[in-house]
Amino acid sequence: MKDKLKFLTKQSLKKKIDTKWFKGVNILLLVLLLFLANMDRVVTFFGGDFEGEKNIYVLDEVNGFDFFSNTFLASSKSLEEINNYKVLKSSLSLESLKKSLEENKEDIIVSLSFDETNFMKAEIISFDEVNMMTKQMLISSLNSLKETMAFQNSGLTEDEILSLKTPVSVTSTYLNSEVQGENQELIASLAILVIILPCFFLIIMLVQMIGAEVNDEKTTRSMEIIISNVSPKTHFLSKIYASTLFVLIQGALLLFYGFLAFLLRGVFAGGSDSLMLTGSVGEILQVVRDSGIINILLQGLPFILLLFVFSFISYAILAGVLASMTTSIEDFQQLQTPIMLIIMVGYYLAIMASQFEGAFFIKAVSYIPMLSFLLSPVLYTLGQITIIELGISTLITGIFTFVLFRYGLRIYKVGILNYSSTKLWKKMFRSLKRK
Amino acid sequence: MLSVNHVTKYYDKVKAVDDLSFEVKNGEIFGLLGVNGAGKTTTFRMIIGLLEPSSGDVFLDGKKIDYSVTDTIGFLTEERSLLTKLTVKEQILYYGKLKGMTEEKIMEKLDYWLQKFHIEEYKERKIKELSKGNQQKIQFISAVINDPKLLILDEPFTGLDPINVEMFMQVIKEFKNSGSSIIFSSHRMEHVEMFCEKLVILVKGKSVLEGELKQIKKDYRKKNIHIQGKFDKEAVKNLAGVLSLEERANDFLVKIESESVIEKVFQVIKKSDEITEFRVEDPTLNEIFLSKVGESYEG
Repeated sequence: MKDKLKFLTKQSLKKKIDTKWFKGVNILLLVLLLFLANMDRVVTFFGGDFEGEKNIYVLDEVNGFDFFSNTFLASSKSLEEINNYKVLKSSLSLESLKKSLEENKEDIIVSLSFDETNFMKAEIISFDEVNMMTKQMLISSLNSLKETMAFQNSGLTEDEILSLKTPVSVTSTYLNSEVQGENQELIASLAILVIILPCFFLIIMLVQMIGAEVNDEKTTRSMEIIISNVSPKTHFLSKIYASTLFVLIQGALLLFYGFLAFLLRGVFAGGSDSLMLTGSVGEILQVVRDSGIINILLQGLPFILLLFVFSFISYAILAGVLASMTTSIEDFQQLQTPIMLIIMVGYYLAIMASQFEGAFFIKAVSYIPMLSFLLSPVLYTLGQITIIELGISTLITGIFTFVLFRYGLRIYKVGILNYSSTKLWKKMFRSLKRK
Repeated sequence: MLSVNHVTKYYDKVKAVDDLSFEVKNGEIFGLLGVNGAGKTTTFRMIIGLLEPSSGDVFLDGKKIDYSVTDTIGFLTEERSLLTKLTVKEQILYYGKLKGMTEEKIMEKLDYWLQKFHIEEYKERKIKELSKGNQQKIQFISAVINDPKLLILDEPFTGLDPINVEMFMQVIKEFKNSGSSIIFSSHRMEHVEMFCEKLVILVKGKSVLEGELKQIKKDYRKKNIHIQGKFDKEAVKNLAGVLSLEERANDFLVKIESESVIEKVFQVIKKSDEITEFRVEDPTLNEIFLSKVGESYEG
């Protein structure tokens, strides 16, 4: 019987993986992930109006051009790939500059003048609306200039002014050794993006695949031939193994594609270190590195992986049992909706976990099997539950999976050979009592 | 040898099979007959272990049927039980492997059967692309790929033209000659009559007639007389023991109660000079079936 289980599992897995669709979808996933991770590079690669040189002409009556220019260029450095600004001091009149804007519509005029009560005032003149980011940087640079002017007029020494402008040095000290520092929301978003979202899609795929397969065998009556040669338990196990293996393979492939996407980003960034990450992605990874989350994740990884495997198996069992009860794929699709909603509950609670820190309800739900795999890893990453609590959650899901298989198999045995929907639930409840 | 001993099956409170017993020896073809819902499929399902009998036992060569012996059983279901997205080769490999066969052996057998049924060119074709008749051939091949000791055929001739029915019959007889036990069900009584030695007729799960076909016919006292020519029909009709007189395209069919009525009919017929045929026949299995099933329903 072991050989037959191996054969059925291999056959079921082959049916999912050795298809043109699987290969096609994976190529598409790889291309999409490469694109998503490098979207900004792709946009700049193809060029557009944003590429042209843009001049910011400063009419300076307050003698603050150097400070303003340095501040603005420093703050716009991160955007220099998409905004090629030049800040120029203009000796032309405002009217002639305004005329030149009609030809060079991307240029901007910043007119600085004295103000008796507010030290200085400014006017930003452009042909069209200035994009929000640029406007923010201009205003911020102008505010800094005004601040500097105020300090200079206050009679303070340069050292005093420098000290005043230096941000307050703040050190965060947490007495609780389990607190992982700041950026909790960022870490939670990352955990949801990297762990929860792929799992969400994988579970949906798993449920649909197992349902379609069982239904296909039932509706074609080949189930009778199969079950006359292998026990329902062997058949059920083969479906569970094959679909769980499929999900793990697809999950690993997604991670690999993600890694490739970031690797490619590094290559695009150039330089000797091809793994160097730039821009916001690099900053995010820096935050993750600094927060020490990687070490914490590595400690909890065995539990997290076990929790995922148990949960995948639970969903496979549930999908298999439901599919065995139905007599058509349409019936199964209807039964699928509550499963999707269960996953949605876990997904949204995982998102809410960082906002409602220490929420009793969310913590309690993180122990509930079939939801725990979405919540527990996020709560653990956020430091809201300990590794022991993560272990307990894994254990509960493990026990639940075993019980679900034991009782699910009883329904499955009856369901796979049942072609009538008359008194369906009665039949299924009665089958639960049979050993 | 297959032994079905006092098997009963309940679905909820409904008795689907009621204390059914029969034996099928090696090299014997056994007919399991009955109208739709009589309990034939339930009986088949119990024999191959898909269903657990509520009481009674099923043995194959003295061993209770379980998954240790199912590799020696071949089962052809009434409905198509093929995974239509697979090719013929994939399908037979799939079912063959489930029977514990090696790939080499399956391919060897598959080539043999495809050649036998003159469908070698369909080996790599998807099952859904085949005609109904060819799908039935593939289904039959999947049932016999393991050279079964026990072959269960639930309506094997569905969707087949007369030439292919003949071909199937030939193959079934070959299995019988090689010592396989065969259980067979069909609504077509002429098929059953052609090669079943023993049979059981089920009505509402209960056996209403069982035994050897020859003996059943012998025990069934009614006879049929075929008459060709002109004769006094009213006189024949009015004879005691004549059940009916039916005018058909080329002759008249007189159904009589028992052998003793033949002489009385003959005496009336011989008065005519224009009789070209007077032939006495045993009733067909179809008549016996209709009579027995009718009686049970009325009862």
